[in-house]
Amino acid sequence: MRVNVTVNGEQRQADDVWEGESLLFMLRERLGLPGSKNACEQGECGSCTVYLDNVPVCACLVAAGQAQDRSVRTVEGLAEGDQLDPVQEAFVEAGAVQCGFCTPGLVVQAHDLLDRVPNPSDPEIREALAGNLCRCTGYEKILDAVRLAASRR
Amino acid sequence: MIGRPVDRVDGRIKVTGAAPYAADTKIPGVTCGYLVTSTIGRGRLTGMDTAAALASPGVLAVYTPFNPLKLFAYVQEQNDERFPPLQDTEIRFFGQAIGFVVAETWEQARDAAGLVTATYDQQPPVTEFPGRTLQAFEEVEEVVGTQTVGDITFTASYTTPFQHHCAMEPHATVATWNGDHLTVYTVSQGALLVQRRLSETLGVDAAKIHVLSPHVGGGFGGKWGNWAQVPLACAASRALGRPVKAVLTREQVFAMAGHRPRTKQTLAMTCTEDGKLTSIVNDGVTSRGLGGNWSESVANWTLTTYASPNLRVTKTVVPLNLGAATVMRAPGEANGSFALESAMDELAAQLGVDPVELRLRNYATLVPNTGKPWSGKHLDECYRLGAEEFGWSKRPKQVRATADGDWLVGTGMATATYGASRGQASIKVRLHPDGTASVSGTAADLGTGQYTVFAILAADELGIPVTRVRPDLGDSTSPAAANAGGSNSTCTNGPAVQVAAKAVQTELITLATTNPRSPFYGKEVSYRDGSVSSGGLTMSFGTLLTTCDVGGVEAVGTSPRLVDPEHGFRSFGAHFCEVRVHRLTGEPRVTRWLSVCDAGTIVNAKAARSQIQGAVVMGIGQALLEATEVDVSARFTNANLASYLVPVHADIPRIDVRFLDHSDPVISGLGAKGIGELGIVGVAGAIANAVHHATGVRVRDLPITLDKLL
Repeated sequence: MRVNVTVNGEQRQADDVWEGESLLFMLRERLGLPGSKNACEQGECGSCTVYLDNVPVCACLVAAGQAQDRSVRTVEGLAEGDQLDPVQEAFVEAGAVQCGFCTPGLVVQAHDLLDRVPNPSDPEIREALAGNLCRCTGYEKILDAVRLAASRR
Repeated sequence: MIGRPVDRVDGRIKVTGAAPYAADTKIPGVTCGYLVTSTIGRGRLTGMDTAAALASPGVLAVYTPFNPLKLFAYVQEQNDERFPPLQDTEIRFFGQAIGFVVAETWEQARDAAGLVTATYDQQPPVTEFPGRTLQAFEEVEEVVGTQTVGDITFTASYTTPFQHHCAMEPHATVATWNGDHLTVYTVSQGALLVQRRLSETLGVDAAKIHVLSPHVGGGFGGKWGNWAQVPLACAASRALGRPVKAVLTREQVFAMAGHRPRTKQTLAMTCTEDGKLTSIVNDGVTSRGLGGNWSESVANWTLTTYASPNLRVTKTVVPLNLGAATVMRAPGEANGSFALESAMDELAAQLGVDPVELRLRNYATLVPNTGKPWSGKHLDECYRLGAEEFGWSKRPKQVRATADGDWLVGTGMATATYGASRGQASIKVRLHPDGTASVSGTAADLGTGQYTVFAILAADELGIPVTRVRPDLGDSTSPAAANAGGSNSTCTNGPAVQVAAKAVQTELITLATTNPRSPFYGKEVSYRDGSVSSGGLTMSFGTLLTTCDVGGVEAVGTSPRLVDPEHGFRSFGAHFCEVRVHRLTGEPRVTRWLSVCDAGTIVNAKAARSQIQGAVVMGIGQALLEATEVDVSARFTNANLASYLVPVHADIPRIDVRFLDHSDPVISGLGAKGIGELGIVGVAGAIANAVHHATGVRVRDLPITLDKLL
């Protein structure tokens, strides 16, 4: 099937999409956007988190066809040209990035949290990001990054 | 810059999604390989029906042990599989690769793999630990002194379950051939490990194998070895004349890509009335998966931790029908320390001595099993600073003495130590006309921060900003540097970066004084802060190279392996924690943490702190959450990230980490030891001790789940 979808503000079209295909697969393999990662295949780790009509979703759990005529924003669409989003900047500065595989999903999830709750408490951050697994950092620096981004937005 | 907090140089490409991982590799015409795996745990394949798969749309080939891709025997020990995939019909474990389907697309390959059927001559798999034996147990022992019996004795057994690395990135390999040259994009803790393994199993000159592994989504030991998808993707690509991409599913990663073995330790200690240890015996038992060779020397941590005139450790290996057990963050130490650190706490309670005080009374000023001096050891300072900062003196002596509402509160501590070593490494530094310097070596950055270590050390040595250094890792064509394992990347590669960055200055000076286009031709010059000077003239190396019309100067520097039989080398630390256990539900939660580390020179304070925090959190997982279960068919039943529990944000308190500032001049001029694994050692023991202090319940079997506290 053919899927028409707006991705990072651009009208895109994917052909020969299989009915059982995930949005994640379509983004990575057909639309040239490998930033979102496939790590658990079951919506458990959050590495593939993207916005679907401004709501964060695990792209591995959304069928590609469900994105028809909708808007998707991925980690590749957060920066404005060379200017990183404050959340991205804060992740680099706070040292919240290690292997980087969970980072794209975490950056999108944190971005959404700060859109909804401009000054989240620590328990709110921990709860909001509890669905995004990270095996490297121990989470401490990720909290620092969210606090830092909140202070700058 | 050494020791200051520096932003990681690969940060920007990772927060924008631009960093290329193996599975992101795009090659025109790439095909997809999908593994077919065994559905029994032990036996022999008697036949496979691949007709339906071969007739399935898009399928290019189906390889099985009855129609194999030729792979030569594995010779080198890489802590991975004993045998190359598809070369024999013996089933050693559930989830073993028995087929490889290659198709035009991933869905076609996966669909066709589901159509392959296998018949087996099945035998009951052996998974009991320790239990009935499949092969004779292998036993090793190391003894120091003659055993004496002291006044006071303590004996207990401690057990740990199977665990999995769960690096976020599943194993992926993309292979493509150009004539007889192979290029392979893969996950790896060392590009040369891949090159050597492929050279022997494919029968190809290593010089014709180019391995690229620039970014790796976590390893923790699980990407040291080369698992089935690596040789199969390469061999299938050669056979088909098409690029092949193979990515393991998460379930396949659990089954075939290594796990931490199950262990049991029985500790017997004797001491004098004032708590001086007179003997420690640790009988360690470890599982070995029959898919591999590796097993854990779980008791050996006992040999180097506390002073005792008599020490004896043994190792009994129990082979099981499982995939290869392999190295996982602090292999031996993470499990080993759980037993000894729990036992020290139990002994302290038996003696009525404070746990920190007992450790100081048995402080090993010399290496306990060799009697040699340490290269540097400030563990006593870790204990004292940690105790002071944590408020240890306010700790009630009695167990179950503190409650906060329905939560029972306790505190615990433990020792951390991890071996340090410096291997040989070669690094190339090249100065470019645009004023940048590239620094290359086959080293890997699994998220550890090795890129930034290279940048910091080269920038310091060259006297230029970190932003002008371009580190280049994970490429087998670079000079041979340390693989990422054993916490020795920075210790080994760091001095080589320094040597190379010095050597390239000599090359630059030679160019400046001998190139006729150089304004310094025939003069005496000096190098400082990225520039060459003579008399009143100073010129940056970029301008000099441009003026001379030279595309770059470079030098390879080699730092030799440290051979020092006179010293013992380790990093040290002390953990202090507070745990709360719910009075009614038994739920344990870690609520406060402090680690004080003595790991030599810290190159990047920001990344180093995060490495320790991450290791502590993995240790919290080991203590409270992580266990892989095996059923009667020898299948790992919770082989996914929903059922294998790893800590999440909401499970974790603030993790406070301090570093002592003591360089270790014996190990290298840089003075850095290792930090990648140190942080997890002792964590489970500290938590078990705090749980006991909170509740009065001693749990000797990990993980400490709530059912054990009710």
